[in-house]
Amino acid sequence: MTAGGKRSGAVFPVLAAALLGALVLSAATGPVSISPRAAFDAIFRGTDDTPGRVLLSLRLPRALLGALVGGALASSGVAFQALLRNPLADPYILGVSGGAAVGALTVALFLSADASPLLPLCAFGGAALAALAVFLLARRRSGVSPERLILMGVVVGAFLNAVIMLMVTLSPPGKIPGALYWLMGDLGLGTPRRVAVLFPYVALGTVLLYLLSRGLDLLLLGDHAAFQAGLSVERVKTATYLTASLLAGSVVAVSGLIGFVGLIVPHGARVLVGSGHRRLLPASFLLGGAFLVLSDTLARVASPAGELPVGAVTALAGAPFFLHLLRRNGGRS
Amino acid sequence: MSGRVRIDVARRFLAGFLPAVALLASAIDRPAFAADRFPLALKDDRGVTVRLAASPRRIVSLAPSLTEIVFLVGREGSLAGVTRYCNFPPAAATLPNIGGVSDPDVERIVALSPDLVLCTTDGNPREKVRALEEMGIPCFAVAPQNLDAVFTAIERVGALLGAADRGIAEAAALRRRAQRVRAATRGTDAASPNVLFVVSTAPVIAAGSGTFMDELVRLAGGRNVAARIAGRYPRLSVEDLVAARPDVVFVAGMTGVERFPREVTRWKEVPAFREEAVVTLDGDLVTRPGPRMVTALERISAALAAWREKRVKAPAAGGGGKR
Repeated sequence: MTAGGKRSGAVFPVLAAALLGALVLSAATGPVSISPRAAFDAIFRGTDDTPGRVLLSLRLPRALLGALVGGALASSGVAFQALLRNPLADPYILGVSGGAAVGALTVALFLSADASPLLPLCAFGGAALAALAVFLLARRRSGVSPERLILMGVVVGAFLNAVIMLMVTLSPPGKIPGALYWLMGDLGLGTPRRVAVLFPYVALGTVLLYLLSRGLDLLLLGDHAAFQAGLSVERVKTATYLTASLLAGSVVAVSGLIGFVGLIVPHGARVLVGSGHRRLLPASFLLGGAFLVLSDTLARVASPAGELPVGAVTALAGAPFFLHLLRRNGGRS
Repeated sequence: MSGRVRIDVARRFLAGFLPAVALLASAIDRPAFAADRFPLALKDDRGVTVRLAASPRRIVSLAPSLTEIVFLVGREGSLAGVTRYCNFPPAAATLPNIGGVSDPDVERIVALSPDLVLCTTDGNPREKVRALEEMGIPCFAVAPQNLDAVFTAIERVGALLGAADRGIAEAAALRRRAQRVRAATRGTDAASPNVLFVVSTAPVIAAGSGTFMDELVRLAGGRNVAARIAGRYPRLSVEDLVAARPDVVFVAGMTGVERFPREVTRWKEVPAFREEAVVTLDGDLVTRPGPRMVTALERISAALAAWREKRVKAPAAGGGGKR
């Protein structure tokens, strides 16, 4: 439980370089071949040819979307793990995923295809409602206990899952593929607009969590100890809960349910920088972003039968890697 | 004397032999299902021999394509039950409903006390068909994998339902129509367009090789760009579309998913989007291995002919661009 201590600050430049490298790799990979020269011209001279347009309107937005989504999921995971004092917590543990899914599927399955701009809004709305419901159900006069939060989250999540299954079963057959891809986690079409829509939520959420770092450190000691250390425990908990849900909900709205990143990346980051949140949060963001961008690149090119849902790749590629990381640093996190 | 006898024997032999040859030849030409004589034993597409003592009077169909075939051979009067997707001909929709293709309700089927169930190995769950067979209901599986096999299936189902001649006649009519399309495309010396056939617009999922849509496109004289990609139904990114540059895009329309999102069609690098050569076909026509597949073939062929005509009129458009 060292707070980073001996490990030098060199970790951050390395992580930033990893994210940058992942972004470049992702932007350089795809079925349309783009020469470095064409890429340079497109970015710095604004040339308007096909490779340039593919780079600027498809690949870079998708790569940036991956970085934002991965970073946000990892940060949200860190916050939930501290809030619930549970290493198995992830951004979806408290029903956010189910709420978002119900919201998004309502649009995708039962409204016309042209209503797709509504989808992120409804997904976000569903996530927010579910998160709020769990929070209110779990709250007692004495405050919010992690155990009650988890219990309520699981119950609400199970209920929403049943609703999701019903919706998919009853939906018109032509719409099922889209819905399934969304449920499996999929960055979908990268457009500059989607990046612009997501960015403010992620920026606000991660900055707020960073400001809560000290509170999160203290929460890990237990409510009583945190209170004695001068923390207004309930306020920090409420703020953390709402911020982490906002992050998860906004991300789910654009990318569907991408599993694994929010659960495991925080543990990987802890191995690198320790569990002090002032270092853990930014490290998780960078690591999560790099990890998801790489996974998405793999998802786009790995299968000869077209794109895979990135949610499948994150677990498939990530699990062995992080197992290795955790074993090598046995017991550290 | 002995010479005459020999000639006589020979004559008698020939007299007996020739009709036998003719009979044999006709039997080869029209295999076991030629005569709708019962009892009848016919091997289905699983290799299971189905035996019927008499022409079936209560038939349950477990797929829309099979329902269409039953109507085609004129035995709809014997249809006791169909799936909830059986909507063609319109009269099919009024028949008792036994559930879906992938979720037929065994109990409802048994309650209809059918003497024959028509099923498919492409969609009907095997264990449900087995459950029906274990209850003594003969199940005949039809699973054509290409257009020719669809025609054969029509003949076989016709024979099974005691309408062999009708089946043979309808199959022949369909073969002629398909042949006409093939002959028309062979006549043109214009280049064959690059074609993409999608079964879903968001995400874009295309019909690759091994699908009926791929075969129909080829028969109509087009080149399926998705056939180069592995898998029967590959999922394509917008970038894949830009790279493949299809000249004509067909959409197998299903409820609510007939159009591409605007973020996709704004890519004018794709000739089909630039020239607005996006054609929506009724999804039922191209996904059901039944008689209307020929209608689909004719429509695809017509759309490709229209593309060729446009190209002749405006050669400056350059069709596929630099490739």
